[in-house]
Amino acid sequence: MTDMKRRDLLRYSAAGVVTTATVLVGAQGLAASGPASGRQNAAPEDPRDFDEVYKGKKIKGKHNAARDKDELRINNKKLALTVISTLFIPEDGSAPHVGLGYISAINHYDPVEIDNDKHKDGLKKLAKKVVDILGDLELSDEAAKDHKH
Amino acid sequence: MAVVRKSIAVMTSAEKTAFIDALRQFKTTSANGRNYNWYIDQHITFFSRTSDNISHAHQSPSFFPWHREYLRLLELDLQTVSGNPEIFIPYWDWTGTTSPFTADFLGSITNGSVSSGNFSPSWGWAIYRSSIATSFLQRRLGQNASRPTATTVNTVQGYTVYDRSPWNSTVSSSYRNRNEIELHNRVHNYVGGHMGTREAPNDPAFWLHHCNIDRLWWLWQSNRGIDTYQPRTGTTSGVIDNTETMRPFAAGRTPFAVRDISALEYSYA
Repeated sequence: MTDMKRRDLLRYSAAGVVTTATVLVGAQGLAASGPASGRQNAAPEDPRDFDEVYKGKKIKGKHNAARDKDELRINNKKLALTVISTLFIPEDGSAPHVGLGYISAINHYDPVEIDNDKHKDGLKKLAKKVVDILGDLELSDEAAKDHKH
Repeated sequence: MAVVRKSIAVMTSAEKTAFIDALRQFKTTSANGRNYNWYIDQHITFFSRTSDNISHAHQSPSFFPWHREYLRLLELDLQTVSGNPEIFIPYWDWTGTTSPFTADFLGSITNGSVSSGNFSPSWGWAIYRSSIATSFLQRRLGQNASRPTATTVNTVQGYTVYDRSPWNSTVSSSYRNRNEIELHNRVHNYVGGHMGTREAPNDPAFWLHHCNIDRLWWLWQSNRGIDTYQPRTGTTSGVIDNTETMRPFAAGRTPFAVRDISALEYSYA
């Protein structure tokens, strides 16, 4: 066996190990989310969660049961979220209504309705709005600082 | 000394230059124990509820008087730092056609950034505590919202009750909340970039916008009564009552104390 071939063999072996590990983690994930598993620590994924790319930026959203605990990252930078109850006055002239909305350092005057009843896509809407505001730029560490309303 | 706050549409070029030069000077020179970045710090701090669970600056009745005191202090500091007692904060009536975002005033915008000229870093304007990773002031005119029209302003000015329970951003028929959401928030979002953020006073347009909001409140007071703040007395939970000090301002700076602008040494032209 030449040196080159040995290196290739090592590389493929390493890749094989990674693949196996991924499959195992996946299987555990499936087992944990099943009703019969009885495990408490692996919460089922919320169907509203997302991890995708929008306009070249990675947007990752995770929902949690407790109010004010939802999480959002843009290109792996955290954006601290605050949930407020507010009057929404649509610019299209439709009727004002009260609902829960997310605000953050970036959309401080522009709450995005969480919309848990109809489309359930408030967090993703917020993610896209923030990407549109950032343009070519990124969030800074200041955006991750919590605040209370 | 008493000043007359003018519209940006009628400012002379000398008045514009004096105003922006005083702002720039205040970035690096303290006056009366404060500097420009103190104002950004206070805006961030008092946007949150304080430890006694009071909302001082936004989403609460004290939205108008808190910003009135905030602007009055800045006007005083700009006069002090520049040694020019005639400096005034101008107002930007965003229903009109005159824009403050020009090369000779608040700076022109290239692809969303103020990257050269007035209010650029090379001119002497350092962005502070930005939640957007950039050293350039950001503006995204019209991307996220349109400007309120004169019709919308008239509708909002027509609300007869200053504010009412539950004293927050859910109140549907109070002058304070309709103005805060439909006029005030919307213009922050119309300008966009830093004006839409928690650290909005990084953009000098903040003062021109809030000056117009204060002018509208004063016009409303002139119609409905100068002493019309609600809640009047007592200790309503989570909000500033008429005779309660607004933080971070000095003891005695209450909504009642700032109700009459003629006692605050300014007027609107």
